[in-house]
Amino acid sequence: MVKVYSMTSCPWCVKAKKYLESKGVEYQDLNIEEDEAARVACQQLSGDLMVPVITANDKDYVLGFDKAKIDALLGIAG
Amino acid sequence: MAKKRQKRDVVIIGAGMAGLTAALYAGRSGLSVLVLESELVGGQIANAADIENYPGIPGIGGGELISAVQTQAEKFGAVVDEFDPIVRVELSSQPKIVETEGAVYEAAAVILATGMKRRKLSLKEADRYEGRGVHYCELCDGQAYAGKTVAVIGGGNAAVDAAEYLSKLASKLYLIQRSELRADKASVERLRSHKNVEILLQTEPRALSGDTKLTAATLFDRKAETAKELPIDAVFVNIGVEPNTAMFADQVKLDKAGNIVAGEDCRTNLDGVFAAGDVRTKEIRQLTTAAADGTVAALEAVRYLRSLENDKKKSSKKIKK
Repeated sequence: MVKVYSMTSCPWCVKAKKYLESKGVEYQDLNIEEDEAARVACQQLSGDLMVPVITANDKDYVLGFDKAKIDALLGIAG
Repeated sequence: MAKKRQKRDVVIIGAGMAGLTAALYAGRSGLSVLVLESELVGGQIANAADIENYPGIPGIGGGELISAVQTQAEKFGAVVDEFDPIVRVELSSQPKIVETEGAVYEAAAVILATGMKRRKLSLKEADRYEGRGVHYCELCDGQAYAGKTVAVIGGGNAAVDAAEYLSKLASKLYLIQRSELRADKASVERLRSHKNVEILLQTEPRALSGDTKLTAATLFDRKAETAKELPIDAVFVNIGVEPNTAMFADQVKLDKAGNIVAGEDCRTNLDGVFAAGDVRTKEIRQLTTAAADGTVAALEAVRYLRSLENDKKKSSKKIKK
């Protein structure tokens, strides 16, 4: 399952989630403001608390909304 | 594979308040409307934590407000595509051509509502620390600096609002401005009420330092003409904006600052091309003036399309005779 670490009012998080939805990608939205475990997991994964962070395997991730990198990470055809 | 060619009455470039208001009005007028946005829907207000100067709405997040306007425009048939960046525009032809990565759109009219983009910090080491202490989105990156020492650079409303938001996260917040504050009095007073906030006026950053991440900024006091190093974990840059016109700078008439030259009727020097919002030459740039421009540009586009139709009818009558 794809995971998106996000925050409520972060505009790039909103855009990243809308992009996944437009491509039919199911994802788990993990809000690091509200969920302490998500906050810890996000920091462990990326070493920071900047969002959005997208991962499919809890190892490789994309920080920020970068369409080309997200496509490559998730195998989305352009 | 050849890109699909598609026709639209109006293509609106930019989905900020001006572009989405234009989409709402053009949609309500029965036109087929496409709005293209390469960055954030909402433009500059997408980053605004709290908007208090939109009539009728005492306080609302920028994202929430713009999302409501988008929904309203879509209700009247406008389509907003924020995932298909534009690669080329041809504005002097009829129809006008807007080519994206995925399609070629032929539009009878085009509304340019590309707004402004944040100015980047001009220090030579700023790029090296971008994302590692130099930031441009407080709502995305602010959380990473909870309990830390943070500075906002700038003195306008956006800078003061960013400082207000970050002051709730950071242990210490500096607002650094090279001259005096230009923000609304109410916003400045609210910011000053936070005990962890220090405002440094007549001060400008001259250098940034740190190993892999930013750890300090060298500040120059312009009055005392002295420099000091301030230990700091992050700077959030809000030093103003510049018009987003690079894509069509060689086609539409611009003023010296790069804004599109157009009067209150939003008409540019090109037939069927309109400019709306902050990107247009104007004295006052506010959310309300952007909405007003979107209205005018859309209704002028409707008028232009009618004149095209009338011209077509006249020329077909002549042929019949």
